Amino acid sequence: MFPAPAPSRGGGRFTEAVNSMNEHDGNLLELTGISKRFPGVLALDNVDFDLRHGEVHVLFGENGAGKSTLINVIAGTFGPDSGRFLYQGREIRKLTPHQARVMGISPVFQEFSLVPEMTVDENLFLGRERSRFTFLNKRAMRAKAREVIAELGFNLDPTRKVGSLSRAHQQMVEIAKALLTDVRLLILDEPTASLTEAETIKLFALIDRLRAQGVGIIYVSHRMGEIKQIADRISVLRDGRKIATVRSDEISETELVELMAGRKIEVLFPHVDHRPAEDLLEVRNLTLASGSVKDVTFHARAGEITGIAGLVGCGKSELIRAVFGLDPVESGTVLLYGKETSSFKPTAMLRAGVCYFPSDRVAEGLALARPVRENVSMAALDLPEFAKGQVIRRKEEKKTIQDIVDRLKLRPPQIEPAVGRLSGGNRQKVVLGRGLAREIRVFLFDEPTVGIDVGAKLEVYELMKLLLEMGAAIVLVSSELPEVLHLSNRLYVMHHARMVAELTGQDINEQAVLACFFREDAPNAGSDEVPAERAVASAA
Amino acid sequence: MSEPSAAGAKLSSGQALAAFMVRHGLIIALVVMEIGFAIVEPLVLSPGNLLNIIQQTSYIAVFAAAQMVVIVTRGFDLSLGTTVSAVSVASALVMTGMVANGSTNMPVIMLMGMLTGLGLGLAVGLFNGICVSVLNVNAFVTTLGSLNICFGIATTISDGRPVFDVPREFSGLLYSGTILGVPAPVIIAIVVLIAIHLMLTWTVFGRSLYLIGGNPRAAALAGLPSKRYLTTAYVVCSLLAAVGALMLTARTGSGEPNLGGNVTLQSIAAAVIGGVSLRGGVGGTYAAVLGALFVTALSNCMGLARIDGYIQQIILGCVIIAAIFVDRLRTGAR
Repeated sequence: MFPAPAPSRGGGRFTEAVNSMNEHDGNLLELTGISKRFPGVLALDNVDFDLRHGEVHVLFGENGAGKSTLINVIAGTFGPDSGRFLYQGREIRKLTPHQARVMGISPVFQEFSLVPEMTVDENLFLGRERSRFTFLNKRAMRAKAREVIAELGFNLDPTRKVGSLSRAHQQMVEIAKALLTDVRLLILDEPTASLTEAETIKLFALIDRLRAQGVGIIYVSHRMGEIKQIADRISVLRDGRKIATVRSDEISETELVELMAGRKIEVLFPHVDHRPAEDLLEVRNLTLASGSVKDVTFHARAGEITGIAGLVGCGKSELIRAVFGLDPVESGTVLLYGKETSSFKPTAMLRAGVCYFPSDRVAEGLALARPVRENVSMAALDLPEFAKGQVIRRKEEKKTIQDIVDRLKLRPPQIEPAVGRLSGGNRQKVVLGRGLAREIRVFLFDEPTVGIDVGAKLEVYELMKLLLEMGAAIVLVSSELPEVLHLSNRLYVMHHARMVAELTGQDINEQAVLACFFREDAPNAGSDEVPAERAVASAA
Repeated sequence: MSEPSAAGAKLSSGQALAAFMVRHGLIIALVVMEIGFAIVEPLVLSPGNLLNIIQQTSYIAVFAAAQMVVIVTRGFDLSLGTTVSAVSVASALVMTGMVANGSTNMPVIMLMGMLTGLGLGLAVGLFNGICVSVLNVNAFVTTLGSLNICFGIATTISDGRPVFDVPREFSGLLYSGTILGVPAPVIIAIVVLIAIHLMLTWTVFGRSLYLIGGNPRAAALAGLPSKRYLTTAYVVCSLLAAVGALMLTARTGSGEPNLGGNVTLQSIAAAVIGGVSLRGGVGGTYAAVLGALFVTALSNCMGLARIDGYIQQIILGCVIIAAIFVDRLRTGAR
């Protein structure tokens, strides 16, 4: 996602006026000394937290710092082991998720609570269906659904099945669902992770409106730009403890990152030495059967990072998935090491030294119940190093994987725990470990740092540097603009299924990329909700 | 949604106990149950009865292992029981038919009987496997269909009546025979279970089953030949069912069209109670054996305590649900 083109802070049109009306200011939520222990982990250690009416309070911290646990306690998913929970001045004990909703606490988690087989409006009213004479009042529900969606300014069809929607649209459904009831406390867990720029702006406008109405908002995010943009206060968590609560306008980004990591982090992006050599991967006029990629040509050379930027849904992810054999190709050619390849299948691609690293690690990357070892070696079981025919060489496997795990600085550096026990950053390392378990020369990274914290991000970038030195070609697909801007030697830009630009050297900058997105859209501007589009246009 | 940090915090004593119970609870429950029933009915712990339990367990353990192989891949086999019936009847018919046609070469007769049974198992497994992996029909519907097909085959070829006069030598080989005093069924079960254990832990195929069950999409991305392996898993399952069916046929001395009546439920129960997760990716031979032992011991104890057969069904049902609940706790802890 791109650094938000910030409207004035707290920029709601009538925010200030209403805020002053809301000055009855007891805290909406007050947590004191909350502790929560899971087997083997003290997830929350004596945490104090409070939320005022009409405030956006950002929770900030590395993966595993306790953010999720805290919002789950507030949403009633599980109770704390100790501590006091005051909501609207009343002490709450044994909170259930249902009770929490009734009291106006609406969580929007990263993991969706939607039923894929049901339509958008059915999902919105799930568990609180409206009925008339015992029959479902579908018409009333559909009308209400339309109303809520329109109010949010999302482009959603309430009659579509949720399973057929993109992740971004599912996210919108989830948000709409949270807002259907009378919300007093809204929890948003990385809501913008899959939203486009325009949708993000709409979401922020909505947050401003809710804030003006006195709703308290807890907002979890890793994205510095948006945190600074919308937060009133920020609480930093580390290792289950609350490190500090600060006013957003009193702290700099660097200070924030230091608080989070507990150490000085010099750079967010390392300096990468690109030494471009021969073409390893060449894609010519590729068109996919799904139509999400049309006539795309690009190439990736050994020793450099080739970035592909684009908005969510532009086809950049589908492009590299297709190269790896996950999306059916309609026409076009792919050349590996100068030779044309025809068998688009993961097995063949891995053998040829091409590996794809999915953005959704839980859905596509990992068998969570299985140990780290099996997850790392899983794409290399056809190699003689790991198996003699069908017989696995378990001793060699252990040794090799332990080496890889040590090199990746997995924490803890153990190969036998189930991957499900690891935090986001460490899970990503396990997936990346696959690239080290066999000889891979072309690395296709799909949003490699989505949902992982700054420290782990840096380690991922360092790994990329290492791979480049070993002569690999890296294709980096990312919606996080700063990432591709800083790391790419050459940066392609995709828009509406087509490759619209190839930027090099000084041309790799934010203006150039944003210009690519909006150049052809310009005539259509204004067709959608006006303020949002205007904000985007001014940024471009 | 927990966020376990890398820092290995100390377990509280309560949680250590909980973790211990989740891991070893079944053995403890088994011992407690045996002792409890022994107070009511001392015969429960007599050497004769314990030996009996072990013998009984060998059948269920084979079926539980069969079921486990597919449950690990996120599937299950509802047709296991009727496969047992069909195999029993078919192999019995081949053997009695050969005898009736004047053949006297017993080893050949028995071999043909066994090959028929295993061949039928292979066919059922291929059918299930191809439907599930290639045609993408879910395991529930597929095996519900083959359940009926196998039932139909078993009743049609036998006219719905038991096939008597299975050669005594067959029972001698697979039921009453002993090696160094160890009964044949126990030996067969041990050999089969060791083979399955080695297959799951030491082969690429076995490893892949766990990974496919753990996350099918990730397995596909890692280039594992999921379709081939899934199909093979169902074949292994049905072949094991056939082995168990031959053992049971040897025990009854006849081909029985209703032989597999309870087997499906018992095998799933044993696997799940032993700790094989219905969500795939978790389980092993140890779990199948332990579960089988528990299910057998439970029904043995209830039988000796003269608990009504139908009440036994209710209790078994409750135990299965409890086992799935424990599985949830275990997954939650992960």
